[in-house]
Formats: sequence, structure tokens, C-alpha cells
Amino acid sequence: MPEIRLNNVSKRFGKFVAVDNLNLDIESNAFITLLGPSGCGKTTTLRMIAGLETPTEGSISIDGKVVFDADRGINLPPNKRDVGFLFQNYALWPHMTVYQNIAFGLENLKWDKKRIRERANELLKMLRIEQFESRYPSELSGGQQQRVAIARTLAPGPKVLFMDEPLSNLDAKLRMEMRTELKRLHKDTDSTFVYVTHDQLEAMTLSTRVCIMENGVLQQYAPPLTMYNEPANLFVADFMGNPTMNFLDGEAKVNGNTAEVSFGTLHGVFHASAPIDLKTSRCVLGIRPEFIHISETEGIRASVYSTLPSGMETTVKLDVGGTLLTAVVFGGVDYPVDSTVCFAFSGRAILFDREQGGKNVAEGTMELM
Amino acid sequence: MEQAGIRKIQMRRLQGRAHAWLSKPANVILMIFLVALTLLTLYPLLSMLTETFTIHTGREARAAGQKAGELSLYHFRRLFLTSENDYSSIQFYQPFFNTLIVSVSSSVIAILFGGVVAFLVTRTNLKYKKFISGVFTFPYIMPAWTLALFWETFFKNVNIGLKTSNGIMASVFGIFMPEWFVYGAFPIALVLGLHYAPFAYILIGGILRNMDANLEEAATILKTSRPRIIWRITLPIVKPAMLSTFLLVFASSMSAYSVPVFLGSPVRYYVLSTKMKSLMDSYPGQAYIIVGVMILFGVAILLLNQKVTNSRKQFTTVTGKSGQISKINLGRANRPIAILLVIILLMVAVVPLVTFALESVIIKAGDYTLGNMTLDFWIGTELDKRLDQGDSTGILLNPKVWNALGYSLGLAVTCALAAGTCGILVGYGVAKRRGSRLASWVNSLSFFPYLMPSLAFGAIYLAMSSRVTWLRGFLLLALVGSVKYLPFASRSGVNAMLQLSGEIEEAALITGVPWWKRMLRVIFPIQKSSFLSGYLLPLVSCMRELSLFVLLVPTSNTILTTMLMQYSEKGWAQFGNAINLLIIIVVLLVNFIVNKLTGASIDKGVGG
Repeated sequence: MPEIRLNNVSKRFGKFVAVDNLNLDIESNAFITLLGPSGCGKTTTLRMIAGLETPTEGSISIDGKVVFDADRGINLPPNKRDVGFLFQNYALWPHMTVYQNIAFGLENLKWDKKRIRERANELLKMLRIEQFESRYPSELSGGQQQRVAIARTLAPGPKVLFMDEPLSNLDAKLRMEMRTELKRLHKDTDSTFVYVTHDQLEAMTLSTRVCIMENGVLQQYAPPLTMYNEPANLFVADFMGNPTMNFLDGEAKVNGNTAEVSFGTLHGVFHASAPIDLKTSRCVLGIRPEFIHISETEGIRASVYSTLPSGMETTVKLDVGGTLLTAVVFGGVDYPVDSTVCFAFSGRAILFDREQGGKNVAEGTMELM
Repeated sequence: MEQAGIRKIQMRRLQGRAHAWLSKPANVILMIFLVALTLLTLYPLLSMLTETFTIHTGREARAAGQKAGELSLYHFRRLFLTSENDYSSIQFYQPFFNTLIVSVSSSVIAILFGGVVAFLVTRTNLKYKKFISGVFTFPYIMPAWTLALFWETFFKNVNIGLKTSNGIMASVFGIFMPEWFVYGAFPIALVLGLHYAPFAYILIGGILRNMDANLEEAATILKTSRPRIIWRITLPIVKPAMLSTFLLVFASSMSAYSVPVFLGSPVRYYVLSTKMKSLMDSYPGQAYIIVGVMILFGVAILLLNQKVTNSRKQFTTVTGKSGQISKINLGRANRPIAILLVIILLMVAVVPLVTFALESVIIKAGDYTLGNMTLDFWIGTELDKRLDQGDSTGILLNPKVWNALGYSLGLAVTCALAAGTCGILVGYGVAKRRGSRLASWVNSLSFFPYLMPSLAFGAIYLAMSSRVTWLRGFLLLALVGSVKYLPFASRSGVNAMLQLSGEIEEAALITGVPWWKRMLRVIFPIQKSSFLSGYLLPLVSCMRELSLFVLLVPTSNTILTTMLMQYSEKGWAQFGNAINLLIIIVVLLVNFIVNKLTGASIDKGVGG
């Protein structure tokens, strides 16, 4: 039941700072996602924990054992850290069969032949690839290769499993399927998963906690739904959720827990649950598409800019005096383009302060006048 | 107290970092090669440079009027600035000018011939493609002098050159070719161009083959005519490859030695390499200056080539998924073009072999009737009683020949193993630490021997071996060969490693597979054919190498190629032709066997 601890970990490549002073506690049995746009340092972080990359500063411990400490000169090689690593491109050895791919690592751990056979059979069965045992990787489809890679990684029974965008090479349908299986696998193997992705949906659906990064700096570390509902800042709010949150630049007059806000042609009152900490009058209002309620008659008039019905839900873009708002309506409704509808804000809205780096300064509701 | 604590932490951090750095095999490999290659390439280079300022014993000291061992600018003044008897012009400027002419023309010939064939094979429905592409690399596999020797034996006559005897053209067909056709700039450039045309074929053909067909199809959709597509789309895309070929062939032609010796020296047509060799005996200081000039040329070409290939990357990364390339229909021209090509290739690749065979069995030169033929030069005994010159037995019964063959093979295998293995290690280190300064140093250093003309490289090691007493004989030859052929091996090593994603090794690393096992069980098997090509190229090159070893062999009987040189200098034409044929057959055989057994092939290793 290992927990992983990162203390003030930094990684610099020359002058470029890939990871900046990262502190992270990963509790045992967690399914953690490192999330962020490409180049944000998430893969570097994962590789540093696994021991494939050496941090410039800080210390890392796995299961109470210090595996890296810059000040004490400790640096355990990856194979001494008892971890598994699932690579983005699977990294299956093309000259070995499926069975050999799984067995090679175990042979190396000096397991006896019988035990290797048993363990390999167990994994082949678990991942439903028994029939491919003597095939070469090039003779398998992407999804099957993925399963072999997972089997190979799980074979020595690592307590921690690292995964670097393992699903990004699969098609959309297979990806859905593998997500379900990974979640199942997490339960069955009883180990700690650390997962890197740039796909917020994957992070939302899979993990127990999400660590979102930008330019090597940790932005927020929280359970996915918390992150979705209470994003720490504009970056997180923008990154989580699809379609993305609506952001409206405006002016606010704060009065304790309430603020009078105006943006463009829209005006309204924001009711927060706590005092609003806005440095100047400039603010950004964030509202999720599902909290924009469209109706025939009630609320403010807007014209339909475009409608994207997907069957289960419909994404509608509204034009309000030149400002575009995205709304999501449950069910398939095909509003004619350029027709006029009414809308109102319902549910949760957030105020961000650009002066404080886009920080979330108030959560509450927004009532339009 | 506190300060001591901080210092202790700093020490530990430093130790930790050093330990982490050294625990990566790539770093250790790169460090070792940095030191070794500096010693093996830069040190000889520097010691050669000092030779250009040193007065040597013998004729040089007398001519300069200075004591041997003194430092002086005499050689530079003498070589560059002596107008007396046109000395500088004859010894330096004329050969320099000749080198330029020959190298530029051979590059143009190679690009035209290789490029056109590459285009025909990859982009049209030409007939006999398989034969054409199979035979096309032959001239490169065979020694460079093969064609030169063929040209001379075929076209020579009693009116020109050394005026010794008539070749096949004169004696059989009664046609006496003019001197410019048989000796001098024209045949040298043509022969070198044909020899290096496979460069162009492989480089340009590679681009044409991998080029996204959509690029051309997009133009077709826009109603562009075929010729216009070739001119405006295809040619610009292969232009970098053409430039790259030009530079490579230029560098190789500039350093070629055997071809200008056979086709230039008989009429006193000198290029830098042959001039350097003739100056080496009496005026080594000036010879070393010529070596320096050639190396400067090489470095300039490397820099240019790097500039060109860097911009080339933009093109080659564009590989589309459409493999269906619409081939041009040659229509009625198809068969004539194909037959013409087959004839040219037969002339270049097969007829020389037949000629050598023929020349090695005739008794009296110029008489090609059956009555004038004998196998004595191959398997005869007590020849000294019947002939007025040559060895007493045919070459196949001559222990000297077998010894030389054994020595040549041993040397080639040793060099190939050393260079090939080092090439893989360099490739591993460079690919793993890609982008680091250490990696780019080692990469450049490992390519450096390519820039040194073989003869010059041999000369440098000759100068060095006079100081390092234990560096003699086989050891010296093997070392020179390994270093000289390292660029071929390291090129294919680096390319092979760059194709391999780092994850492949890391997947083994994470389960604790030790480094040597990762190399042997994971990396090597995956890129086997590329790595083996890295062994094959040094093997074949070394087997047919002459200019690199000619200054360094203990006696001229040591290896086959110098033995051939000696025989043709003595004028023992039949023996020479027989040995030549023997070398070519061995080289082709080695190439064929390795290719069949392992799938490695020359064209995977050749080129930039």
C-alpha cells in the first residue's frame, strides 16, 4: 500500500524549467491523474517518480522509502523502485512474441520457469489475449497491443503503476472501453496508479484525484468533481469541462457577499456565499454551459449562432449583442440558425480576478437583470 | 559549524549528481569516445600540422638549406610562392585546379546518371526494374579502380600514354582513341561519376520513394501538366538530396587516389591526391600541406552538407499515408530506355569483369585469339622458364597471394568488427543524449575521419607511427582502418538508434534488465539489419582499400590491393588482372553472403 511523496521537486533542462518546486502527496491506492497541456511538465514528473529522469532539486519517497534526495545524494535506479510503467507507444519489443514480451521481465527477476508460465497465463487470461500468445506485436491491432503492454507491465506485480498517455493512440470507441477496464484493473490489482493525460475527460472519468499543471507549476490538486465545480483559477476552469466554461469580462461593484456586475450589454447581481475578495473592479465571470437555461419566452433574448445536436445533448451557441455564449441543452433540439430564443443563468457561477492571476475569488449564483 | 553543514550537503548533492550521470551508460560511452576519438583524430591532425612546419632529413633539408628538425615556413613558401620553373604552378596550383574540375564534373555526372535512374525506377513503369536496381550498386561495391583499369585496358593504344600495347578497342576493332578520351580529366571524371552514381541513386531514390504522393496528386487535381509537376514539385523536393549527393561525391572524388593514378599519371595529369603521394617521398613537408588543404576542403563540405541536410528534414518528415504513387507510363519509349540502361549497366558492371578475365589469360598483349590464351597466370607452374617476367607460379598456386588474401580478409574482418561495434555504441550514446553538447561533439568527431582523404589519413598515421614505436604492422593497419571506417558505422548506428523510441529500452530498464542485456536482447535484435549494414560497409570498403594502406603496409606483398599496385607498376599485366579479378570476386562474394545471411545491405549504410 505505497504512498508517494514529492517534496520541492524541480527539474531544469539548462535554463528551461520543466517542473517548478512541485509538492505532491499521493495516498496509497489512489488513481492520480497528472493533467495539463503538452509541455506542462506532467510526463517529466511521472518519469522522475519512476526514476527514468533525475530531478534537479528535491526529494521523492515511495512507500516511506526515500528513492531520490538531491541533498543526500540518494538516487535509486528505476528497477529498485518496484514500479511498473506503461508507455504511450506501448514499447512492445517487436522481435518477441506476446508471451516472450510478458516473460522477459520475469526471467530477469530470476523467477523459475513454471512460475513465469503460471503468471503469464494468469495475465493473458485477465486481459483476454490468450489466443494471441505466440503472435508478434506487429500482428496485433492497436487495442490488443495495448493489452499486451498492460500485461507485461503488471507481470512482476508492481505496487505502483505509472501510465504515460496510454490511450492516446487508440480510436474513440476503444478508448472508452479501455477506460472502463483500467478503472476495473485499478480495483483488481489493488495498487496505486499515476496516470498522465492531456485529455480532461479521461482525468475526470478515471481518477480519484487530479493534479493539473501548467508550465511546470501545480495549479490545483483535488478530486475531479471538486475541480470541475470549484476550479482554483481561470486556467483550471478553462481546462476542465467540454464544452468549455463561458468567460465574460466585466466590471463589478463589490458589496460584501454580493456584487453588481456588468459585461457588455448584460447586467446582474452576483450572490456569493462568502465575502468577495476582488482587488479592482475588473473581473471575469465564469459559467458552465449546462447552467445557461434556454427557453422560448423567459429571460434575455439572444439569437442562435449555431446548433450542434449530438443526440443525447445539444450544444447551442448564442449571440447576445456580439458576445458568444455556449449552452448545453439535454436532448436533441435543432434550433434554426439566426432564430431568436431566450436564456437565463441558473445554478453555479464563479468570479475570477485577473489581477490575482485569474484566481477564483467567489463562488455563488448570478442573477441577470 | 553551519557552513560546514552546508558544504557537506553541497558535496553530497554533487556526488549524487555525478553518480546519476555516470549510472547512465550513454554518458560513460560518450566520455570514452570523446577521449578516444580526440586521441585518434585530433592528435594525428595536430601532429601532421606540425610536420608542415618541420624540416625533414634528406633532400628536404638540403633543398631548404636548413637543419633537419628545425621549424620553418619554408614548405609554405616553396609550395605556394615559387615562380621559378613554374614550381608552384606545377606542384600545387595546376593539380588544385584539376581536382576542382574533376570533382565538379564527376558530381554532375553522378547526379545526372543516378538521379535519372532513381526517377525512372521509382516514378515510372520502366521494365527490368529489378535487374536495374540490383546491378546499380555494383560499381560502388567494386573497387574504384576497376572501371579505371577497364577503361585503360579497353581503350589504350600504342600512340598514347605509356605507348606500351594496344587494348581491345585498337587490336580487335582497329579504332585508335585520342589521348583526351583515354587519359586525363574526361575519363577520370566519368569513371568517378559512374562509381559514385549509386550515392545519388540511393539518396535521391530514397526521397522519391518516401515522398507523399499526395503532393503530386494535389498538383494533378489543379490541372498541372506532368512535366510541370516534375519541374515545380518533384525536383524542388529532391533538391536537398541532390545537393547532399553533390557534396558527398565532390568530397569522395577529391580524395580519390587510384583512379587518377591509372588514368592521369601516364600522361602527367596530376590531381592533389596523386601529387601528394609523389611529393611524400622527397618533400614530406609540402605533401602534408596538400593534405591540410584537402582536409580544409572536406571540413567546408561537411559544414555545407550539414546546412543542407538540416533544411532537408522539413521535407523528409512529410511522409504521407498514401502509398499508391501514380506511375508515369513511358509508353512506347519504355523498352528502348530500359534496354539502353541495361546495356550501360552491363558495360559498367559486367564487361569490366569479363575484360579482366580475358586480359589475365592472354600471353601476348593485344592478341585475343584462342591460340594466344593460357591459364598459366592462374594455375601455371615454373613460369620463369617460359616467361621473361613475373612470378614463377600462377596466382592461385602462389603462397604470397594466399597470404595476402588471408591478411586482407583478417584485416577487413577486424576493422569491420571494431568499427561496426564502435558505430553502434556511438549511435546509442548520441541518440540517447541527443541535443547535449557532449553528444554533438562525439557525433562530429566520429564523422571527422570521413573528411580526411584516405591517402592523407594514411600519411598522418605514418607520421604518428614514427613517434609511437609499438604502433606497427597489423595493429597499425587495423587501427587506421577502424577509425577511417567509423563514420560509415556510426552513421548507420545513429540512424538506427534514432528510429528506435527510447521507450523500448526503458520498458526493459524498469524491470531491471542490465545494460549489456538490453543492448544484446532488445536493441540489437530490433535494428539488426541496420546495425549489420554498419559492419558490412567497413568490411567491403576495407577489403578493396588501397589508398589508405598504401603508405602503411610493411611490404607491398602484405595485402592484395597493394600487391596489385605493385604488379601493375612492374607491368605484369596478366598477374595484375588476375589479382584484380580475385579481389572483385571476393568483395562481391562477401557482400552477397552477408546480404543473404543477414539482410544487411550496402544501400542501407551508404550516404550522408
